[in-house]
Amino acid sequence: MPRTTRPRYRPAAPLGGRTPVGSTRRTSMIALAFLSPALVILTVFVAWPMLSALRLSFTDASGFGREEYVGLENYVRVFTDPDVLQAMGNTAYYAILFTPAAIVIALVLALLVNHPLLPWRGAFRTALFVPFVVSLAVAAFAWSYLLDPQIGLLNHWLRGAGIQLGNVLQDPVLAMPAVALVAVWKSFGFYLVIFIAGLQEIPGSLYEAARVDGASAWQRFRHITLPMLSNTLAFVMIVALIAALQAFDQIYVMTGGGPYGTTQTVVMEIYTSGFKKLELGFASALSYVLLLITLVLSLIQFRFFGRREKDAQ
Amino acid sequence: MNRNPAKAAATAAVLALAGAAMSGCSAAAEPEGPVQLTFWHGYTEADGDVLQKIVDDFNASQDEVQIKTEVKTWAVIDDTLLPALSADEGPDIVAMPGERMPVYADRGAFADLGDWYGSDDGGTSALNEQAVDMVTVDGAPYGVPTGFVPLSVFYNKTLFAAAGITDAPTTWDEWLDAAKKLTVDADGDGTPEQYGLALPDHDTVANGLWPSLFYGAGGDLVEDAKTAVVDSEENREALDYWVSAIRDDKISPTGLDGIGADELFSSGKAAMHVGGPWMASIAKDNGIDYGIAALPAGPADQAASAIGVAMGVTAQADDAKVEGAEAFFSYFLGKDVATEWSLGSGWPPLRTDIAADAVSDNPTVVALTDIAPTSRALLPGVVNSVDVLDAIDDLTQRAVAGEDIDGLLSTAQDAVQSALK
Repeated sequence: MPRTTRPRYRPAAPLGGRTPVGSTRRTSMIALAFLSPALVILTVFVAWPMLSALRLSFTDASGFGREEYVGLENYVRVFTDPDVLQAMGNTAYYAILFTPAAIVIALVLALLVNHPLLPWRGAFRTALFVPFVVSLAVAAFAWSYLLDPQIGLLNHWLRGAGIQLGNVLQDPVLAMPAVALVAVWKSFGFYLVIFIAGLQEIPGSLYEAARVDGASAWQRFRHITLPMLSNTLAFVMIVALIAALQAFDQIYVMTGGGPYGTTQTVVMEIYTSGFKKLELGFASALSYVLLLITLVLSLIQFRFFGRREKDAQ
Repeated sequence: MNRNPAKAAATAAVLALAGAAMSGCSAAAEPEGPVQLTFWHGYTEADGDVLQKIVDDFNASQDEVQIKTEVKTWAVIDDTLLPALSADEGPDIVAMPGERMPVYADRGAFADLGDWYGSDDGGTSALNEQAVDMVTVDGAPYGVPTGFVPLSVFYNKTLFAAAGITDAPTTWDEWLDAAKKLTVDADGDGTPEQYGLALPDHDTVANGLWPSLFYGAGGDLVEDAKTAVVDSEENREALDYWVSAIRDDKISPTGLDGIGADELFSSGKAAMHVGGPWMASIAKDNGIDYGIAALPAGPADQAASAIGVAMGVTAQADDAKVEGAEAFFSYFLGKDVATEWSLGSGWPPLRTDIAADAVSDNPTVVALTDIAPTSRALLPGVVNSVDVLDAIDDLTQRAVAGEDIDGLLSTAQDAVQSALK
């Protein structure tokens, strides 16, 4: 009888073959080595300044070496100083103006640009994305000239249509919407591109099935597009909110926080305290409070969308 | 097996890069010889060349001190001085706008020059008193003025001639009268095409316009850097007068800021403008036939807020460097150099004992030298000038927008007082 060797039982090999002993550690070391330049840069330019700022926030430092530990005094001042409270209110107002506007505009345009029958889609996408490429400070300068009461084009055109804009950037009611508008104009392109990517992930078969069942465009949007986009929506909302809470560039250029502090945001307040009044300790404390607020809001959103995603599935 | 040597080499290269990034710089060795000083200033135009010549002459005139200048814009100096000094990479001498000095001095950034002033080595007794006030905090002088000039009225001679006005106004009433004549609304739409006098209501030139108007009525902002005197009858009078001129007589647009006013004048859309010496060259560049006049006298006084620039010795300088800097200051304030600097910078001489005919080569300087006695330092010795000026801007901007002046003065008084403690 020929001798046959019966194959010994072997568990299924993991994808890519069995890894030899000790190689996992070597792979991690190599990975770490490639990551180290980025990690060094992050440590030196992000982590170290953050820890330093945390230390400064408990002192009355002015940046010239003479500093005293003051405990929680700066943090108490953050919540009691009327200028800071006004800045927080302004920032909240700005976020309410900016976030829904940017997201809705981006979503609507994404739906339009994603339509299969639209010609020159690439050209439209590029045109809509271009404002995002422009630096916000440059855009703010351009817009402040457009809105100038003496020489502004916008004022000129609208006067022809019978609307007197007046001095928009010095109007306590119109100034904040104006600066929010500039940010929406500049940023929606980024969210647009993300939404387009999200829309293209939705299988067309779902829409066909819905159409066959007689669903209207609005019903298709509500019951297919929105639920399938919830991951993307979650990401965009968090990113937009974080950007809104950090508003600074266009406000510094266009209104300087005026008129009467109605456009003074938290980051403007940090800049003024830290660099104009040389109150580095207080500015650091305010920065950390902003960080914590941003963190909490992001976590809340994350939780909210996390639950919805599970429901959608 | 070809991959392994390549991988190893790549890993080594990456680790080497990371190592290089982490290595610190070695400290530079201290040179022997003359004391070396770095001097930051923001004189970027032709005046910077004149200052450089003065520094070069000083360096050539003696062996103990050598000064090296670094020219940056005033804004960059303000933004970078703090981090630079923290890292010991800052200058030994730095010039900055006068109102920023107390902020830094209070934080210990500048050396006390009281002894040097006391010894009167550099002719400091001949300096304009108000200019010295500008650099004094709590009785101690922290700097040396490099420029001190009152705001003045720049007027468009062509527009004056067209309106039949021959002389520059010398009192408030004449001023308002001229402004009304020069305000032209040809198409009757309620918005003048030409304004008589560009009056910004916030972010004015050197924040000095409205304080000047308050001085004219006999009022002031702050007394002794300790007490707010904003809420006064005199200030109310000044506000009433000029707010109604803007709102009712439309001599100026509302909501204007200092830069907007500059632009209105240089584009020929405003016949008069309150500004600093640089308006002379801007007007010339824009082809405007301009004249300079003192701020007209108000009912109580003729005074104008001053635009000031000063230089000080930073806390980074050791004793030898402080002495070197003081030697330079003495040289700078000497009569000949002060005259040279005045002619070159286009600002009036800092020494009160230099007469107008000594600077007759530059007519702008002559005009400004004649006005110089009316100049007043803005908020001398006040450390938290940022909040004080914010409160004043609020006051004037809201007043021009039509809000109740009594209430505004009261609010501003409280805000300024709490900023002064």
